[in-house]
Amino acid sequence: MTAVIETAALTKSYGDSRGIEDLSLQVPKGEIFGFLGPNGAGKTTTIRTLLDLLHPTAGSALLFGLDSHRDSRAIRSRIGNLAGDFAYEDRTTGNELLTLFARLRGMDDLGSAADLAERFRADLTKPLRELSRGNRQKIGLIQALFHNPELLILDEPTGGLDPLMQEEFLTVVAEHRDKGATVFLSSHDLSEVERICDRVGIIRAGRLAAIESVSEMKGRAYRKVKVALGDAVDAGAFASLLGVDSVSIDGNTLRLRVLGDINPLVEAIAKLDVRDLEVTAPSLEELFLEYYDEASES
Amino acid sequence: MPTATPPTTSKSFIAVLRSDLHFQRKVPLIWGVSLGATCALIAAMWPSISGAIGAAIKGYPEAIKQAFSIRELSNVNQYVDVEMLSFIVPFALAFFAIRSATRAMVWAEEHGHLDSLLALPLSRRVLVAGSFLATAILLAVNLLIMWGMTLGMAELVGAHASPRALASGFGNVFPLSVAFAGFAVLLAGFLHRSAAVTGIASGTLVAMYVVDLVGKISPELHDVRIASAFRWYGSAVQDGFAWSHAVGLTGVGLLLAVVGAELFQRRDVL
Repeated sequence: MTAVIETAALTKSYGDSRGIEDLSLQVPKGEIFGFLGPNGAGKTTTIRTLLDLLHPTAGSALLFGLDSHRDSRAIRSRIGNLAGDFAYEDRTTGNELLTLFARLRGMDDLGSAADLAERFRADLTKPLRELSRGNRQKIGLIQALFHNPELLILDEPTGGLDPLMQEEFLTVVAEHRDKGATVFLSSHDLSEVERICDRVGIIRAGRLAAIESVSEMKGRAYRKVKVALGDAVDAGAFASLLGVDSVSIDGNTLRLRVLGDINPLVEAIAKLDVRDLEVTAPSLEELFLEYYDEASES
Repeated sequence: MPTATPPTTSKSFIAVLRSDLHFQRKVPLIWGVSLGATCALIAAMWPSISGAIGAAIKGYPEAIKQAFSIRELSNVNQYVDVEMLSFIVPFALAFFAIRSATRAMVWAEEHGHLDSLLALPLSRRVLVAGSFLATAILLAVNLLIMWGMTLGMAELVGAHASPRALASGFGNVFPLSVAFAGFAVLLAGFLHRSAAVTGIASGTLVAMYVVDLVGKISPELHDVRIASAFRWYGSAVQDGFAWSHAVGLTGVGLLLAVVGAELFQRRDVL
């Protein structure tokens, strides 16, 4: 599959301060790629380097097979971008902004702006300074999407949006993917990423800690098991089971974590007087923290 | 999904120029009309002070007359030149040009607007060029308004100004302002803070004025005037419009702007 985004040892440093280091990743066409990390991890630096706002210190970034710096203009005609806190001349109305952006994109009309404005319930007639952060962000979303770009680069796009609009945003992004677009979504909202992303890259302290599909991440993760029993049991009997750890007994309640095949555990507890059984998949947030712990340890 | 292609450079340039003129549409009202009103006031005063001022000037020390290019004050054109065109108007409009030409660069960078604009298929060189031309157009409009208001008031009070002499005087401010606009663009090519660009460019404006002033009254420092833009600005009302100086200053401004645009193209947007 063709990579729409391909970085190789991409590095950006600001004097003595770290930006990103040796970042290598590929995002194939049609994928929604989640880029996760806490504030200051390097998500925005990566995006700004892809957009040629920042020039790499070392390494390379290709978008559509074109060099992010040398061919930047051709690349930017094919992408839609939304910064975390969308800003433009605050006297401008949404309509004026979209008209200017359409001209600068060489468009003859406003594309799907009217449809998007209706879906996001955005007011295009008021100057930006009269809009709340969430409503300004809606204008930002419309300008990122109205020309039906092949690649969407979104940097924490749902900041300030209410839950209904977040929902609508996720629907619109999924629709774009269905039409063949690729999406690079930076976020620290794990539930958002979990819902729409195919793969996730985790960035920590400027370095890529892991890239995996959301299902792989969850599949290889520990599941938490809580068993309410009729009688007290010995924790040691469970601790020796393959893939089982963190075993604790609280009265008649057994708690443990299991990795991989759950059958040995099921066979073991089947011999007991089970009153209740709860198996919980970890949230992406827990997985995320686990990645951080692993990376810290290594 | 169709592959979009960037618009032509001329389309981008026109779009930037239009939007810059749109965002600064109140500039002629703020700068042109207010400075024009001050010039008109000076012109209106001429009939009542014309008799006394000539005699007063004769009593001025020679060094002061040299420093401020006062030779004689026998008509309203010369009075407007001394009162407005030797200091206030060139300072004000050069300052406007410094701010206006770098508005789309450092000011927009500070306010996060460049992140939105440069995510579009827009070249930074085109952004600078469009913004620079918009500044030049607004400068010309401001000067035209000031010329019209001054001339109109002079006619109204019977001072009988020379349209040609005043046009030379106001027109002469244009190349000086363009030179400082270019210098500001050069600074914005590597600085990221609007206050730093405005401060350095305005400081240089003041320093050049002082260098020219001191050079006029001190024979030892006469040669350093060559480094001052005000040496080449001179007085178009009294000496006529010096085309070579005007072209030179405009050329320097354009050259500095081109270098600034090139540096801006290569630097990071923070």
